[in-house]
Amino acid sequence: MIEYLVFAAAFGLLLLGLHRKVIARVQMRPGPPVWQEILHALKFSFKSTWIPKTASSLLYVGVVLIGIGIWSAALFVVLAGESILILFAIYMLHKIVEHGFGLSSGSPYGKFGGVRSVISAASEIPLFVTIAAIYLFTDSLLLRDIIAYQAVHGPLLLIAPPAAIAMYIVILSKLPYGPFSIVESKELVSGYKTEHFGVWRAGISVIDGLKTFVLLFAFVAIFIGAVPFSLALVIMTVVLVSLSFVCAVTPMLSPFDSVTVQGIVTLLMVGYAGVLWWVMP
Amino acid sequence: MKKTTITYGLAASALVIVVAWGLLAASLIPLWAAETAIVIAFPVLVLFLALWWRAPGGEEDIPFIGY
Repeated sequence: MIEYLVFAAAFGLLLLGLHRKVIARVQMRPGPPVWQEILHALKFSFKSTWIPKTASSLLYVGVVLIGIGIWSAALFVVLAGESILILFAIYMLHKIVEHGFGLSSGSPYGKFGGVRSVISAASEIPLFVTIAAIYLFTDSLLLRDIIAYQAVHGPLLLIAPPAAIAMYIVILSKLPYGPFSIVESKELVSGYKTEHFGVWRAGISVIDGLKTFVLLFAFVAIFIGAVPFSLALVIMTVVLVSLSFVCAVTPMLSPFDSVTVQGIVTLLMVGYAGVLWWVMP
Repeated sequence: MKKTTITYGLAASALVIVVAWGLLAASLIPLWAAETAIVIAFPVLVLFLALWWRAPGGEEDIPFIGY
């Protein structure tokens, strides 16, 4: 099973490298090689490392361990076809981890990143409405039941496209360099990650790799259904490239605008779920 | 953290993962138990592995805390 974790982290980092490459090429820059994020993780792991004097040592190190742990658990939840409620509870825990990263170091940049992480919790609300819409069709939140439903009725991507778009926006809000990436925008240096360097930053890279893999894999499983693993990887890559195009041509929104846009998406999704609830037998 | 402590931590986390994997392969523990053990041990393995092979040196410092 550890091989799944290693593969998911490495493939997720490769996808993040591809993300940077696509953004660069759209913006007429050469960009880094696609394996750059893997090299970053390795490079950081070899660097001198200590804990800043201003940091809360326990929280500073603990959030890295918890971050890797929760996304490892999320991967197992998806692979086992368990409830997507557990998966999205883990997604919410990640918000707390981001907040912990920001507050633990004592740096104002990190703190602002952590505070913005709380503000951007607005991006999670479309997720709950997505879950409600899926439940109205499948009568179950177990991933294996959702996949079984799609085997009979076809992909949920075609049956409930607004729900797929809402989750697409949720994944977009978690990607770096996107319109909603306010937690690590440049005016905050690296946001909540600013004071986590060396080995701790290598740990964050593992978290990012696992998170990217799990969210995209869950998207494929929830909205396309059972496909061979190799095809799932191809679809994940295609979805990622489309997200990269959005990131490349969209400026980063201000925190206020980011929350407003996500709030509008939530309202639209609530309306959609309400209509579904009204018309479905 | 001392090098010996890091080595013990690394060995312990690797041992937990190997034992969980072995017990699962022998059907002595259920899948969820093996997964739980790995979810706990994997983060420790990642951090202690990096701490084990990181470059030496470096002292505590005070980061930029504002003007």
